[in-house]
Amino acid sequence: MLHIKNLNASYGPIQVLKNCSLHVDEGEIVSIIGANGAGKTTLLLSVSGLIGSVSGEIKFFDHSIKGLSPDKIVALGIAHCPEGRQLFSPLSVYENLMLGAYARKNVDDKVINEEMNRIFTLFPRLKERINQTAGTLSGGEQQMLAIGRALMAKPRLLLLDEPSLGLAPRLVDTIIRTIVELNQEGMTILLVEQNAKKALEISHRAYILETGRIVLQGRASDLAEDSEIKRAYLGKDYKDLSER
Amino acid sequence: MKRDMELDRVEYLSPDAWSQWHTELLQSTVNRAYNRVPFYRKRMEETGIGPDQIGSVEDIVKLPFTSMKDISENYPYGLFSVPLRDIVRIHTLRSGQPNPIALGYAKPDLKRRTELTARFFRSAGVNEDDIVQICLDPGMSLHGQDLKEGAEFLGALVIPPDPVSILSRIRVMVDFKTTVLVTTPSYGLYMLETFKERNMPLAALNLRLMILLGETLTQDVRDVFVQELDVETRAAYGIFEACGPTMAYECSEKQGLHLALDHVIPEVIDPETLEVLEPGREGELVITTVTARANPLLRFRTGDITKLEINTCPCGRTTWRMAPVSGRCDQIVVVRGVKISPEHVRNLICYSTGGKELSFLIVLGRNKHLTQVDIPVAIDESFFTGSLPQLHNWIRDTEDLFLESMGIRCRIRPVEYRSILPFLEKGHIIVSNAQFLAGK
Repeated sequence: MLHIKNLNASYGPIQVLKNCSLHVDEGEIVSIIGANGAGKTTLLLSVSGLIGSVSGEIKFFDHSIKGLSPDKIVALGIAHCPEGRQLFSPLSVYENLMLGAYARKNVDDKVINEEMNRIFTLFPRLKERINQTAGTLSGGEQQMLAIGRALMAKPRLLLLDEPSLGLAPRLVDTIIRTIVELNQEGMTILLVEQNAKKALEISHRAYILETGRIVLQGRASDLAEDSEIKRAYLGKDYKDLSER
Repeated sequence: MKRDMELDRVEYLSPDAWSQWHTELLQSTVNRAYNRVPFYRKRMEETGIGPDQIGSVEDIVKLPFTSMKDISENYPYGLFSVPLRDIVRIHTLRSGQPNPIALGYAKPDLKRRTELTARFFRSAGVNEDDIVQICLDPGMSLHGQDLKEGAEFLGALVIPPDPVSILSRIRVMVDFKTTVLVTTPSYGLYMLETFKERNMPLAALNLRLMILLGETLTQDVRDVFVQELDVETRAAYGIFEACGPTMAYECSEKQGLHLALDHVIPEVIDPETLEVLEPGREGELVITTVTARANPLLRFRTGDITKLEINTCPCGRTTWRMAPVSGRCDQIVVVRGVKISPEHVRNLICYSTGGKELSFLIVLGRNKHLTQVDIPVAIDESFFTGSLPQLHNWIRDTEDLFLESMGIRCRIRPVEYRSILPFLEKGHIIVSNAQFLAGK
């Protein structure tokens, strides 16, 4: 579905991604794991066309999407749910969701309403808050809204950037459960998540990013058992592992 | 079961998917090797290559080669790419080099080896109802262990290789109704002949499959097994240094050995010019491991001569196939899966004589289908003091040393220098028994 080869991305003189190659097959949840500053967010921004300074190959169903504008990429079926949610705070839940469908101009209102109802089934809390402004929602509700807004674009591939960031543990579980549900309904997901343990639990495969380079990849279940990954990303005590 | 299917599905990827897969794996392998193994970083810097130059799998040709000598020189930990605390198993191998070969395995390496071996067994139709008997020489104990774990992973009943006589092995085979025999072609023939010599009824056997590895399985030998034992046969190929005994294996079509492309990237090169040869041309097999965590090998020269076939097999697998190994490009001889090099023999003789270098030949003969290795050693006056008991003791000790070091028995034969001189003058160290007896 998504094939990336030799992706290089820079912010001015600083090269953030170096020769990154990865792929996501239909129906998969693929995670990108890495420390802060490793380039995870940059990778998602490069896919959704939000960074200009990119070289390499990004293909979505055999079509190159490198260099396309973000709206065209959304129209092709890739929706990006960014880190920090990036909601329109003064606008209501309803208006935020409608903006998610902005690129689908030729679609019937009836279809849009069906989409919205589906999102309300997924997140009943949003229905309760439909007229409330996004800025007044709790962190968890805002995250639900951000995901809901991305889903309104009816994507085939959902890019999720740190969906559990700053959420209480109970809400983290809700969001993670929702990601699994979405995937079970057929949604393909490329997930960047600081909670590596949770990400590996729900993913099919994962890539480990270190200072802009992919240094390891494999089945998520295998990586979750890997002592190197445990030490670096899963919060296992270094001493416990080294002195066993 | 679902996981097994997932693991097997990889063998059917499209060529484009393989290209993507290999590019990803090669890049991450090179990134790790460059950053974590000083030997690779130095070697790559010497050739002016960095990880940034590996943009696709085709760029593998830019990487420097690795040899057995490199592994030996970096003994014990020099090629490990994970901290020692992540290494859960170490195997040391006999080699012709001054240092042994040390191979380290992290947990994921062991898991992958077992899964790969299990995948091979599955592809050959082995299941939890089978009784798998492994008959390999001690020199192939590492392969034996991998095979045992792979078959156990499938839930089969496994009879691992024990250092017992051939008659004991045959008795076990009959009494426990072995259904799958794993052995070398020559040992398989030896077992068959012994069976017939003892007038044992072949009907007493319950064998349905023979898995043959360690040596090239020729069509003649395959035909003997198929006709006389009425069994299915499958050949496998592997090297100790990477992936274990089933790095490549036959499918039901038997049109070459499918390489485990999800674990290795194979190339065939001209051993003289080091130029990469296109598929179909015969040359030396070079392997890059792309999933090895503890001991990644970049462009490791195996010394084995073969050729690659990259077209899809009639069985549907898209993994490249290699032809059965047709020989070696170096002076190494493979006896029942054990590699014997003149350097190794020279080092052992030197050790047994307390530092004295004696000339020798490696003479290969046949005894009941098994290759017999004789080592005629030129004894001169400076070594032979006239005491025959002392000479006999030395012969016995040296034969024990060879068995301990190589894992197979060799016969040491003291000879006069002039009897081996004609061969040495021609630069021949490895000769057949017939050549040796003819004196030329």
